[in-house]
Amino acid sequence: MAVLEVENLKTYYYLGKESVKAVDGVSFKIEAKETLGLAGESGCGKTTTAYSIMRLLPENGRIVQGTIRLGDEEITALSEEEIRYLRWRKASIIFQYAMNAFNPVLRIGAQIVEVIREKEGVSKEEARATVSDLFDEVGLEPKRQRDYPHEFSGGMLQRAIIAQSLACDPMLVIADEPVTALDVIVQNKILDLLRKLQEKYELAVLFITHDLSVVAENCHNVGIMYAGNLVEVGSAKAVFKHNLHPYTSKLIGAFPSVIGEKKRLQFIPGTPPNLLNPPAGCRFHPRCPYAQDICKEKEPMYREIKQGHYAKCHFAGELSFEVIE
Amino acid sequence: MTSVEPILEVRNLKKWFPVRSGLLSFMQEKKYVKAVDDVSFDVPRGGSIAIAGESGCGKTTLARTILRLIEPTSGSAYFEGVNISDLTREELRLLRLKMQIIFQNPFEVLDPRLTVETLVGEGLTIHKIEENEAELRRRVLAALENVRLMPAKDFARRYTHELSGGQLQRVAIARSLILEPKLIIADEPVSMLDASIRTEIMNLMEDLQEEHGLTYIFITHDLAQARYIADYIVIMYLGRLVETGPMEEVIMDPLHPYTKALVSNIPIPDPTHKRHRIMLPGETPTPIDLPPGCRFKPRCQEFGPQCKAEEPELVEVKPGRFVACYL
Ligand SMILES: Nc1ncnc2c1ncn2[C@@H]1O[C@H](COP(=O)(O)OP(=O)(O)OP(=O)(O)O)[C@@H](O)[C@H]1O
Ligand code: SF4
Ligand SMILES: [Mg+2]
Repeated sequence: MAVLEVENLKTYYYLGKESVKAVDGVSFKIEAKETLGLAGESGCGKTTTAYSIMRLLPENGRIVQGTIRLGDEEITALSEEEIRYLRWRKASIIFQYAMNAFNPVLRIGAQIVEVIREKEGVSKEEARATVSDLFDEVGLEPKRQRDYPHEFSGGMLQRAIIAQSLACDPMLVIADEPVTALDVIVQNKILDLLRKLQEKYELAVLFITHDLSVVAENCHNVGIMYAGNLVEVGSAKAVFKHNLHPYTSKLIGAFPSVIGEKKRLQFIPGTPPNLLNPPAGCRFHPRCPYAQDICKEKEPMYREIKQGHYAKCHFAGELSFEVIE
Repeated sequence: MTSVEPILEVRNLKKWFPVRSGLLSFMQEKKYVKAVDDVSFDVPRGGSIAIAGESGCGKTTLARTILRLIEPTSGSAYFEGVNISDLTREELRLLRLKMQIIFQNPFEVLDPRLTVETLVGEGLTIHKIEENEAELRRRVLAALENVRLMPAKDFARRYTHELSGGQLQRVAIARSLILEPKLIIADEPVSMLDASIRTEIMNLMEDLQEEHGLTYIFITHDLAQARYIADYIVIMYLGRLVETGPMEEVIMDPLHPYTKALVSNIPIPDPTHKRHRIMLPGETPTPIDLPPGCRFKPRCQEFGPQCKAEEPELVEVKPGRFVACYL
């Protein structure tokens, strides 16, 4: 059974009478020891998806439809108290801005000890011992528990956050742009660490980033989001090498690489739509070079085109992206 | 570096920032952050050169010191043979029209209370270059068309909050372009933008280079991006230039141990491609209290005995390839 299963999730933000359809009918699942990379441009709904699963939405945000099953529990209907019990224990989140993750005036170790004690009801000494083990595991000297956040470099802070995310032995870790602010060499060290820990603790990981290169190298499966929709999901190889959705193909074509022949990169004319009032039919149709009349009127179904490879396009499987440019 | 006559020559440029080290500092030796430490290179006319390296390696300080937005500690930059350090304020003002800088975040430079028309024409009015109103308008519209913001009349009326990130960066480019610069220094011009828009701006800058005979200096932390936009590259580590040469050669066959590690760590948008990754121990320190010898030595995987003694000079090891390393 998958660790996480999201079915037709819709999460909207309310602004007066209007609503931002930030996540609008998204379905996917993640098994233990598996990483799903969620990629897409700014504002497409990646963080909103993560916050829906963690039930950390801001006040004006609401899950309006769909189900989220975490382990054996359906969590969309749980009360605030029930969900607080699950946070850290079943699912934890690593935020993008390492700097803001810890309170600057408290020692890092003490903050992690607090999380453990609140959840597990263990003694201070036991919790401290757990933190020492965790620090060791993420490559930090256990004595540095006594440091304050400003005494850590960006890479070290990210390690401490990973230690914290594992403190209560969760089954799912959501990482929202965990390495975006780091230089490539440090970035790879952190990603290697995440991979090692995932294996060891059999974690399911939801990995969110706008950087397709990082997704390609670190995720088993890939989901591409556009304007609140999940437009394509499949194994990394399938999505990068045999993509089915025009947006995926364009987005990958826009990514520079230090290997291979240097071609002029593609770009997608126009900008993503305003989610207060998204276009009818396929949300990508105003920018899609393959759009037909049907795309303007009818919303495409999200369907399985090949085994384990899903896409939300009327013509998925029929288009050949190399030909038309 | 090339046979083409350079438009800009940077010679032994240094920018050291003094560090205050508490009450007792008067008793101690003065300490410095050596943000830019003895950097020399040429920028060929009509070429484009990328200055790359990790955060804190001194890229932005280098660009600002070249333009004398901050005064160098020593060394100089020569623009078309003229030593920028010798210029008076007035001469410097005129020079900066020819050498424009574009910043990472267009939101910070573009005043939200002004229309695009005013923003783009500002340089011409402030410097009293164009005082005829009809002519000014014509030039603003032409500049907007140059950066493909069309219909130009429509965009001219708008305010910044009515534009997307990519459109804003194009306004910033139009604002520079209208002054007919010869050299544009772009500090991470696309790193705030999404992939699809980033490419649009990069392709546009490439086209403008041909149309207007521009020379570019791109400052970037992203080598993959740099590869698509520049023909030469300068790699910096802790304030020091460690390697420079033609872009493709350096990326395909890096010579300095730091460049090798950096290139090997860049992620590739292809899940089937597996590469060997050179892992460097530790993290990049701050450029204060550097050890004697090569400043990369504490993390270097290849060092020999001579690396401890003295800082290596930049030498030409193959035609066009300059490296600061003993090996
Ligand atoms: N509190 C809010 N109220 C109204 N709209 C919001 C709110 N938070 C986010 N949005 C909107 O919801 C949409 C999805 O935002 P989200 O933060 O999930 O995107 P994202 O994919 O994580 O983007 P990024 O890559 O920039 O982090 C965007 O259009 C955003 O403007
Ligand atoms: S449904 Fe139509 S508009 Fe949408 S991606 Fe497919 S072809 Fe393009
Ligand atoms: Mg986000």
